[in-house]
Amino acid sequence: MSIGWIILLPLCGALAAPLVAGRTRAASAWAAAAATATALAVALSHAPAVFAGETVQLLYPWIPAIGLDLALRLDGLAFVFVLLVLAIGLLVILYASYYLPAEDPKGRFFALLLLFQTAMLGIVMADNLLMLLVFWELTSLTSFLLVGYDPSKQAARRGARIALVITGAGGLALLAGLLLLGHVVGSYRLSDVLAAGDLVRGHDLYVPILVLILLGVFTKSAQFPFHFWLPGAMAAPTPVSAYLHSATMVKAGVFLLARFHPTLAGTEVWFYLVGGVGLTTLLFGAYTALFKHDLKGLLAYSTISHLGLITFLFGLGTPLGAVAGLFHIINHAIFKGSLFMAAGIIDHETGTRDMRRINGLWKYMPYTATLAMVAASAMAGVPLLNGFLSKEMFFDQTLDLDLLGGVAWLLPAAATLAGTFAVAYSLRFIHDVFFNGEPVDLPRTPHEPPRWMRIPVEILVALCLLVGILPQQTVGPFLEIGASGMLGSPPSFDLAIWHGFNAPLVMSLIALGAGVLVYSSRHWLFATHDRLLPRTSGEAAFERIAALLLHVSHRIMAWIDNRSLQRYAVWLVLVVLVLTAAPLVRHGLTLDGGLAGEPVDGVSLVAALLVAAAAVATVVAARRQRLLALIMTSIVGLVVSLTFIHFSAPDLALTQLSVEVVTTILLLLVLYLLPLGEIRPTPRWRQIRDLVLASAAGLGTAALAYAMMTRGYEPISRYFLEFAKPHGGGTNVVNVILVDFRGFDTWGEITVLGIAATGIYAMLRGLRLKAPTRGIGGRPWSADAHPLILAMISRPLLPLALLVSVYILLRGHNSPGGGFIAGLVAGTALILQQLASGQQWTGERMRLGYFTLIGVGLAVATGTGLAALIFERPFLTSAYTYLSLPLVGKVEVASAMAFDLGVFLVVVGTVMLILENLGRLTSGRTQTAPVSPGEER
Amino acid sequence: MSALVISPVLVPLATAVLTTLAGRRPGIQQVLSFAGIAAFLACALALVALAAADRPAEAAFGGWAAPFGIQFLIDRTGAVLVLVTALMGTASLVFLASDADTGPRHPLLLPLVHGLLAGVGGAFATADLFNLYVWFEVMLICALGLFAIGGRLDQLDATFKYLALNLLGTLLLLIAVGAVYAVTGHLNFGALAQASEALPPGLATLVLAALILAFLIKAGAFPLFAWLPASYHTLPAPVLALFAGLLTKVGVYAVLRTLGDVFAPAPELLYEALGWIAAATMLVGVLGAAYHWDMRRILAFHIVSQIGYILLGVALMSEAGNAATLFYTVHHIVVKANLFLIAAILWRLAGSYDLRQIGGLYALRPWLGVLFLIPALSLVGVPPLSGFWAKLLILEEAIAQGRVAWTVVALLVSVLTLYSMVKIWMEGFWSPHPDPQWRLPRARLWPAYAATLGLAAVTLWIGLNPQPLLTYAQAAASTLGAH
Repeated sequence: MSIGWIILLPLCGALAAPLVAGRTRAASAWAAAAATATALAVALSHAPAVFAGETVQLLYPWIPAIGLDLALRLDGLAFVFVLLVLAIGLLVILYASYYLPAEDPKGRFFALLLLFQTAMLGIVMADNLLMLLVFWELTSLTSFLLVGYDPSKQAARRGARIALVITGAGGLALLAGLLLLGHVVGSYRLSDVLAAGDLVRGHDLYVPILVLILLGVFTKSAQFPFHFWLPGAMAAPTPVSAYLHSATMVKAGVFLLARFHPTLAGTEVWFYLVGGVGLTTLLFGAYTALFKHDLKGLLAYSTISHLGLITFLFGLGTPLGAVAGLFHIINHAIFKGSLFMAAGIIDHETGTRDMRRINGLWKYMPYTATLAMVAASAMAGVPLLNGFLSKEMFFDQTLDLDLLGGVAWLLPAAATLAGTFAVAYSLRFIHDVFFNGEPVDLPRTPHEPPRWMRIPVEILVALCLLVGILPQQTVGPFLEIGASGMLGSPPSFDLAIWHGFNAPLVMSLIALGAGVLVYSSRHWLFATHDRLLPRTSGEAAFERIAALLLHVSHRIMAWIDNRSLQRYAVWLVLVVLVLTAAPLVRHGLTLDGGLAGEPVDGVSLVAALLVAAAAVATVVAARRQRLLALIMTSIVGLVVSLTFIHFSAPDLALTQLSVEVVTTILLLLVLYLLPLGEIRPTPRWRQIRDLVLASAAGLGTAALAYAMMTRGYEPISRYFLEFAKPHGGGTNVVNVILVDFRGFDTWGEITVLGIAATGIYAMLRGLRLKAPTRGIGGRPWSADAHPLILAMISRPLLPLALLVSVYILLRGHNSPGGGFIAGLVAGTALILQQLASGQQWTGERMRLGYFTLIGVGLAVATGTGLAALIFERPFLTSAYTYLSLPLVGKVEVASAMAFDLGVFLVVVGTVMLILENLGRLTSGRTQTAPVSPGEER
Repeated sequence: MSALVISPVLVPLATAVLTTLAGRRPGIQQVLSFAGIAAFLACALALVALAAADRPAEAAFGGWAAPFGIQFLIDRTGAVLVLVTALMGTASLVFLASDADTGPRHPLLLPLVHGLLAGVGGAFATADLFNLYVWFEVMLICALGLFAIGGRLDQLDATFKYLALNLLGTLLLLIAVGAVYAVTGHLNFGALAQASEALPPGLATLVLAALILAFLIKAGAFPLFAWLPASYHTLPAPVLALFAGLLTKVGVYAVLRTLGDVFAPAPELLYEALGWIAAATMLVGVLGAAYHWDMRRILAFHIVSQIGYILLGVALMSEAGNAATLFYTVHHIVVKANLFLIAAILWRLAGSYDLRQIGGLYALRPWLGVLFLIPALSLVGVPPLSGFWAKLLILEEAIAQGRVAWTVVALLVSVLTLYSMVKIWMEGFWSPHPDPQWRLPRARLWPAYAATLGLAAVTLWIGLNPQPLLTYAQAAASTLGAH
């Protein structure tokens, strides 16, 4: 079967496990085991090819657009890891099905476990850097969910979170590193990358690539100073700790060291970074492990230490070092896996993991104790066990290094020291737990675990012995193919258990002896350790950094965003000013475009001064005298209208004028309702700030306008002037632009108007305000709501005004006017009726709903546009013709006029709807008298 | 053809009018609304099919050929965004049928939602700068309506802030559009592209800076984003999801359309500045999210942060960068909207948006956890979800161009995003519920699950099979700036 199944089968198992979970107690375990065993069988079926030195490959295109294929490779290195992952996985599944309480959601557990297995297999078999990364992140994620298996425990949540953030961050660094690597090599295929070692090592980007990839490696493999997530992750159920956090996942980091050995290793930077970190971790982990009272804590730090050892071996950059590293990966997986399982059994049987309480278990569980003692001895490096062999290789490697020169003796010394501590903590594991007096008030009386729970431990311990005694016959071939997969051509190495009486053996003996000494003086050591070394931990540092980050971000955000609109607006204006000014400075742009301006005449000058004065007056008055401010703004509006007339833009002037009238009336209504309370004074500095900002913004806009207007350009308006009459059928170019050339914009804008009216209606519908009894300055409102004279004059005015409005509408296409202006004129006339005679009076006579008006208007305008579609012309295409009417004579009829009618209706409807709703705000209070918006009580 | 090209505005607007008329009959209104969105979706699919076949839908309104009339031109970029708009509309409207923070049912809710979709659709379809402004206005006015119809005091406060700040943006946009017209004499994109080539760099920088800044206000970029976190959390969830997914993205799209297409290559200063703005946006957005406990506020700040990534793609000033931007935008709209919707489901089940007040959902609703993790991890950029590919494209291009600082920020922000999502997961799912009396309420959630599952499926699909969207985005980018 294809090697793809090695990954797919566990994935299928992951899907199946929760589905069958309900059937029987062990159903999901069976499903998981079956999937794993089948995958193992598939892997083994490829063994002949792999042992023959072939690389089995599989390639499916996945995302060719970024050079990512589903590419798998099963070479010697991958094969060794696949076996490790699947075989230990099988044992862990067996163990877990007995370890987990019966009432646990096992389906979820096994699904996650197998998902992790899939990801791990993906990492070791990936033949594409990006794919490797995909699986890499997946292991972090499944680890997160497995550590938090029992989220009701705070330690589990905390451990899971820290582990995820640290390994996730490392994963992102790895991503960057791999992207850089791919960029340098020009391909993400692993085969290409492995072949490009010289290119990469000689490249300028080598150091960044190395550092980024190593960040991924060190976080994943719990190297100092990122090690602290691993002890926290021990809150996971023990099968998870055994599988992920000692045997496999934490090896993913060192696996990368092995995988990229041909590409990245062998430089001085590599040696100092990888070797240095590895050695530090080795010593630090070994030392710390001795002082952990928690059984799993001790094992966690021991794991960190052994990972440091492996990292160091790879850091040497020599082929033999790499082989030793690979060997120790295998050995460590075997003995540490069994130790975690034994620790789990002890935890399971005694209810605690505190070594100060669990003593003398030999009497209760001699069989388990024997197994654990063998495994712990392997961890200590006792001869005839597997740990001894790889440790000898390690000692041997430290001896002949010429890189360090005069201080070369430091390395063997450090190695022996680490060995000493390893012996000491292994001894502590054995002696404290199984001997050392009697247990101290345990929750339950321990006894041997169920038969099947011991089997995985038995198998692993047997392997420790087998490999330790017959290395050449057992692990030899695997190491051979692993090394050739890793390095291409494997160096010759000797797996004999007896090399004669040489330096490594002396170091081993020293370590053993010193380890016993250290352990026997442990009480003194513990006391000294507690006294001299402050209780710090990476975890606490992590939390402190997180808290600091939180604090800083809070401060920054509070400064930017204090939830005050004024502050927001200041930011906005300031940024716009600075960033639009930047190009001026950068490009040395001059504002003056060279076009001569028109001479300044007296009228324009007065108008400009008037506008400026009115604008300033508006700002000054706005705080205390709103009415005055409103009058000032209407002065601005009026002068602008006059300016339009002055420069021969009658349409614009008419529009501006009618808009001015309507908005002023509506604003007056709003002012009436505004509360009159005292306004808090603004501090002086803020007034100055606002003054500066406002002036700068105003001047900036003026400068922009000046820069635009002093430059000549070729506008498209000439086209409009030329074709308005022959093609648009109207001589008023402004109107033809509005209803024809750019009728689509107008269509959008009347939609906005309609929606605005609807929105205002919706917003004010339920709102009822208390009408104020007094106006500005405490003066009472006049009692006469609807002065008779006003009412009497306004009524005959209405038909006249409407007539004017219709006139403006009809002439619009050829002379100043149009639907928008006409709508505003009609609106003003209707407003006047409401003001003069009250809302009720008007309402009774105004049969048309305003919504209907808006709706019909929109429908007419849209309908004109859609009619064009029927004739297979683009939306809003206009047509016009000439009709001969009796009396009137030849009349031009353009479809654009229908469109304009739609505009007219929408404008009238909107204005009236807004007015009515504003008026209604206070009308709920008194229903007796006719009430108008200007009503005062 | 001519009818299809205007469908992104005509169909939702017609639906808006019809649903307004049916305001008194909720049943009929609902049916009309679903029919309208289904039609929109169908039209959008047809538009994508046309664009992908290199026959982009096109129309010159009123029969006035460009550059004199207004033109709609729905190329690949526009078409896929119209499709996502229709998709989001569908999800949001389906979700509205549940009872997960959908707010009081106002007769104008559905019309305004459709109006909003019309504005968004128009913005993606138009090829005219002033017409783009018009659609921004349609969006703004509908957004204001949607804020206001709730009528709560905090909503009115949000309405006002949204109005005031967005009006400043709109004003700037109007000035900028005027300036662009003043120096080029054109509004049509194609004509502007021609005319802008002759512009002296200083003048071009000035005018475009104003234009881009106006769009950046709409996009919620640093430091112009204040309106977003100040207002978004007051909206009912489905509307919020729509806003979060679509509105800022229209601003981003406008930046892409102008800097990446019409005016490309613009003066380099603009791209350089945009890059730094993007980096700051990423960072400040994610920092803003860090200390909040309200899921909606956290997610709102993440909108800002993610906008930074998308803008970075434009700032890279290359075809690959533009393709990345488009891919990222599509991915992000789906993911972001979904997160808000799922947060609403959490609210319904656990009783609050405040993470300190909820918990315990992992044990009771593990599949909801999976549903949450899909968009959450996609937002972070965990492979193989859609966000990973999106980030990969951006990072790859940034690395290829040697933009070290921007790359570092992008990676750092990913870590902080992860931290944020883990926080929601921790408090919402893993921590025990603080109220020991709490029980899962009986809730009408199937429409909510239907909507969120659908969006999660899109995320997964893009994640596991990114090739189609990727080649589409690359093809789209290849036509951008090609004039």
